[in-house]
Amino acid sequence: MGKQESGLKVILVLVLIAMFSAILLAYVNQVTREPIAANKKAETQKAIKVVLAGLKDISYPENPTDIQIDNSGAGYFEAKYDNGKTAGYAVIVKGPGGFTNDFDMMVGLDSSGKIIDTYVLDHKETPGLGDGMQKEPFKNQFRGRQLNDTEWKVKKDKGDIDAITAATITSRAFTKGVWRALQVYKTLREDQK
Amino acid sequence: MNYADKFKKTFFTENPVTGMLLGMCPTLAVTSSAENGIGMGLATTFVLMGSNLVISLLRNIIPARVRIPAFIVVIATFVTIVDMGLQATLFELHKTLGLFIPLIVVNCIILGRAEAFASKNSVLQSFIDGLFNGLGFTFSLFILGTIREILGSGAILGMTFIPENFRTVLLFVLAPGAFITLGFMLVGMNRISKALGGK
Repeated sequence: MGKQESGLKVILVLVLIAMFSAILLAYVNQVTREPIAANKKAETQKAIKVVLAGLKDISYPENPTDIQIDNSGAGYFEAKYDNGKTAGYAVIVKGPGGFTNDFDMMVGLDSSGKIIDTYVLDHKETPGLGDGMQKEPFKNQFRGRQLNDTEWKVKKDKGDIDAITAATITSRAFTKGVWRALQVYKTLREDQK
Repeated sequence: MNYADKFKKTFFTENPVTGMLLGMCPTLAVTSSAENGIGMGLATTFVLMGSNLVISLLRNIIPARVRIPAFIVVIATFVTIVDMGLQATLFELHKTLGLFIPLIVVNCIILGRAEAFASKNSVLQSFIDGLFNGLGFTFSLFILGTIREILGSGAILGMTFIPENFRTVLLFVLAPGAFITLGFMLVGMNRISKALGGK
């Protein structure tokens, strides 16, 4: 490296480096865009299979329908039987106020509004504590519950849900997320009447 | 170049983590399991090799006055490639490492090697230097991750070996566990380094 280069050379070199980076990144972006989109879609499809487990011979749209609930964006897939009757819904909602931030989750409901299963799509909760929301003992208590037969709060807040040990905040956010999904169901049902 | 000597340096006496205490943020943050440690280590290794290679190629062109911004642009480019590449191929791993991949840009190890080695040595030597330092970093992260995973989750590389209802030391997957484990690891590694005749 030389001692004191002229300003022009300094600018030129930096611009060239930045330009090459931009071209390279544009290329990589183009190559990876489709696999990334496919991966995200595959993850969602996998989640639908989990949360609607047990429903046979159903079909659902490829992309979710958007809906507003509780001042937050949500989406749902309406699953139908071959004869056109609604089999259930897979609802994507935000679990608000997790330990790190909001997380995306999916809740599967059958046509009567009973919860089939839940799935966490994307989260940054603490490994070993908050991520217990993806595990059996916690998930199991939600199955079969409905909007009206449950006080949708954790036990600490005088509700019916057993929080995960040492992860009350995550449990609260998760419970609120499930509640939102049930609100989506309620809204959809009222629209149909 | 003496490879045995390079190996000894980058894995033990001048290991990026235990020898020079560089890159502490990813070291402490992602090592809650061995798999995360390896993933982060290899991502960093790739960036380190790429940036060392390019910076060594450009070492006579980049003006000394603006070398740091130039290095950062090169490093950031490689990090973005890793970020997009991981999302396209290893989606699951990207989900856990997600937040920390962009932070590789400001990992001192990479800028450190660029400044201390790649900007003064030949292309091939810089490339090998990047590889060795990256693997040394991965090695430390793997050990740290393994210890924390065994004590905190009762598993090795995701395979649980303890009974279902057995309580593990949760502290070790949390932040304090990272500091405690790293502390003991430094003691051990310093012993080994001394035995190997370093510092």
